[in-house]
Amino acid sequence: MSMEDYDFLFKIVLIGNAGVGKTCLVRRFTQGLFPPGQGATIGVDFMIKTVEINGEKVKLQIWDTAGQERFRSITQSYYRSANALILTYDITCEESFRCLPEWLREIEQYASNKVITVLVGNKIDLAERREVSQQRAEEFSEAQDMYYLETSAKESDNVEKLFLDLACRLISEARQNTLVNNVSSPLPGEGKSISYLTCCNFN
Amino acid sequence: MADNLPSEFDVIVIGTGLPESIIAAACSRSGLRVLHVDSRNYYGGNWASFSFSGILSWLKEYQENSDIVNESPTWQEQILENEEAIALSRKDKTIQHVEVFCYASQDLHEDVEEAGALQKNHASVISGNPTEAAHSAYQPSEDESLCTVSCEMPTEQTPSSDQETALEINDVEVTGEKEKRYDDKTHAKSASEEETSENVPIAEDTVLQPKKNRITYSQIIKEGRRFNIDLVSKLLYSRGLLIDLLIKSNVSRYAEFKNITRILAFREGRVEQVPCSRADVFNSKQLTMVEKRMLMKFLTFCMEYEKHPDEYKAYEEITFSEYLKTQKLTPNLQYFVLHSIAMTSETASNTVDGLKATKNFLHCLGRYGNTPFLFPLYGQGELPQCFCRMCAVFGGIYCLRHSVQCLVVDKESRKCKAIIDQFGQRIISKHFLVEDSYFSENTCSHVQYRQISRSVLITDRSVLKTDSDQQISILTVPGEEPGTFAVRVIELCPSTMTCMKGTYLVHLTCTSSKTAREDLEPVVQKLFTPYTETEIENEEVEKPRLLWALYFNMRDSSDISRNSYNDLPSNVYVCSGPDCGLGNDNAVKQAERLFQLICPNEDFCPPPPNPEDIIIDGDSLQSETSEFSVIPEANSETPKESTSLGNPEETSQ
Repeated sequence: MSMEDYDFLFKIVLIGNAGVGKTCLVRRFTQGLFPPGQGATIGVDFMIKTVEINGEKVKLQIWDTAGQERFRSITQSYYRSANALILTYDITCEESFRCLPEWLREIEQYASNKVITVLVGNKIDLAERREVSQQRAEEFSEAQDMYYLETSAKESDNVEKLFLDLACRLISEARQNTLVNNVSSPLPGEGKSISYLTCCNFN
Repeated sequence: MADNLPSEFDVIVIGTGLPESIIAAACSRSGLRVLHVDSRNYYGGNWASFSFSGILSWLKEYQENSDIVNESPTWQEQILENEEAIALSRKDKTIQHVEVFCYASQDLHEDVEEAGALQKNHASVISGNPTEAAHSAYQPSEDESLCTVSCEMPTEQTPSSDQETALEINDVEVTGEKEKRYDDKTHAKSASEEETSENVPIAEDTVLQPKKNRITYSQIIKEGRRFNIDLVSKLLYSRGLLIDLLIKSNVSRYAEFKNITRILAFREGRVEQVPCSRADVFNSKQLTMVEKRMLMKFLTFCMEYEKHPDEYKAYEEITFSEYLKTQKLTPNLQYFVLHSIAMTSETASNTVDGLKATKNFLHCLGRYGNTPFLFPLYGQGELPQCFCRMCAVFGGIYCLRHSVQCLVVDKESRKCKAIIDQFGQRIISKHFLVEDSYFSENTCSHVQYRQISRSVLITDRSVLKTDSDQQISILTVPGEEPGTFAVRVIELCPSTMTCMKGTYLVHLTCTSSKTAREDLEPVVQKLFTPYTETEIENEEVEKPRLLWALYFNMRDSSDISRNSYNDLPSNVYVCSGPDCGLGNDNAVKQAERLFQLICPNEDFCPPPPNPEDIIIDGDSLQSETSEFSVIPEANSETPKESTSLGNPEETSQ
């Protein structure tokens, strides 16, 4: 695929506690796989999937935490130029839900204030072990002004919807920004990337 | 989250400064299992950058001089008969003489706190809209720490404290009005701040109307997360080793950079711009036609000075500044070349060093812009983190807030075999990289450290006003008396994402002769005016006003021979803290050298596979993974031999 073969390029960043299924969501969406084991992501910085929305090619660059969330040691630079954040918890794990405010503080501190945040409750295939009710999560996401969705990476429920809805929202935001600011980049980093891989500018 | 760490690694890296992070990335990239820990709750050690609230808690820690002795499980009992322990230090002793001054008016009665500040015991009340929340003040839990900082001020600042109190009252009276204006501004900001590129003209803001809209201390606190205050002040030479490494390793994709827009000089009490590129020279208004021709001729010669040995051979024995006098250059031009281009002093360099430095400067020009330097957006502190991300992507395990109590040494082989961490867990490894500040006094008793004097200022305008207020400048102020060092001044504008709109962040750095304040205050006074002394409304104030100033000394552990440390096993490697130099070559060289000891004959940070290539074929990912897991085994034995053979510093006993 040539570099110019898209109309939009967005950087989407996943966060949330270890073991909530972030990597599984990404791999389900980008490769249609549900990886049985962990640790297969060595050497993979981000995954790419190009989707078509209303006739426009949208390239999604989806970044995973590289395991740095395990001991709460995510680098700030990870958040810097994200267009969207997917904050994930596990509906069968109360603890992963309780940590959300902490994640939100990191977002507020390091991410651009234009970033779009989606709250995702994953593992709805394990509904019988649910610890966090949908209502609670909805109330929380409403209070934080986030979009909310429940998914199953295993059964592929709502995974496409999650990314495609997000892509739509990003396109309309980008359009608005272009109108309002009359600039071509919606990103906080207006600096140069020094290599020729200009991954974070959209054309 | 309460995961346990694995108990075995190939490399354990202690400290997350730039050299350590580069080595961690390189080792992980080459397939070694890496554990990377830092006892602090942030990345970078003395290479870190902080938000405003972050720097306040950082300096509080050093001002309080607190001895944090949280007794951890005793490791002594874990040491077996055939083992010895090297205890590591529990306290950082690299920062001294911390002094802070606040000149901006302080509304102490107002409950202000940095929006979105990360605090440990913060009640998690986040108001409705995330964007709104970023602009509204929270509960004043950080208030106490602010007070300790600001209370310090009158004692430090006795001469002008009266004046200051008066000013404070003055300001309180107009608070209401001011706050309103401030609100408008922040909203405008959220819409426009992110598109402040050099070409986009910015709406008239506070910089142009300082009298109407002065920045108060509470504004700085509220907008604190806009600041990224570097502990070290460096730039990247656009053809320097770090840029090459960033590009080669693809780590560059994690960061963005801005060009330094101008080189300044301070002569006869005035700040002026130094023309250095061809375009600058031609466009310069301060140079005469004759001077332009002289300078171009000389710079063109410097570009390939080696080809014309006859032009300088006779002058090899004298200093560069003497040599410049023999050239057809006016004193004006000599000054520019010596201080701003070669960035040396009257006495420091000989002719060849000076020519080399000039050539290097010119060589870096034009790769990315009109000056030879780049600055990373969000500050220098991003760079170690970028390498850490790379390390993690290749399987490295990261643990901040994790301290190491001791290194365990096998008596017989004299090799280090494990660490014991704060929880008493013993973690085995083959190689150990330890940043200098983690060693205890016992290990460092013979080490002679130099010091770096640092100052960080928040000011209200640039030292040299031009059409664009988004300038990033470097200025060298020569030492006044013989024996004092030149002071390097780097002024950052808000579009570098290191300070709030309407302010500039100014870094001063020099090799210490005394305390940071003694070394740097004379230069600060030459370039800036304390906020309080410029109350006369109608007078045109030429110098930028100081809103806030911080001074501290940082230990310089670069260039210390390994032999100076007591009893280090051969598989324990020392990484130094930041050096005083402008570039980052020192850190990269050190990282590469140490990496070669651990992984001889391995490529240093080769480019990772392109993520897009991996996606196309799911199987290639698998083969990639298994390939990597083989590498550590192949390497594991070789380093031992070659460290003792190849490293001349290994001879110590």
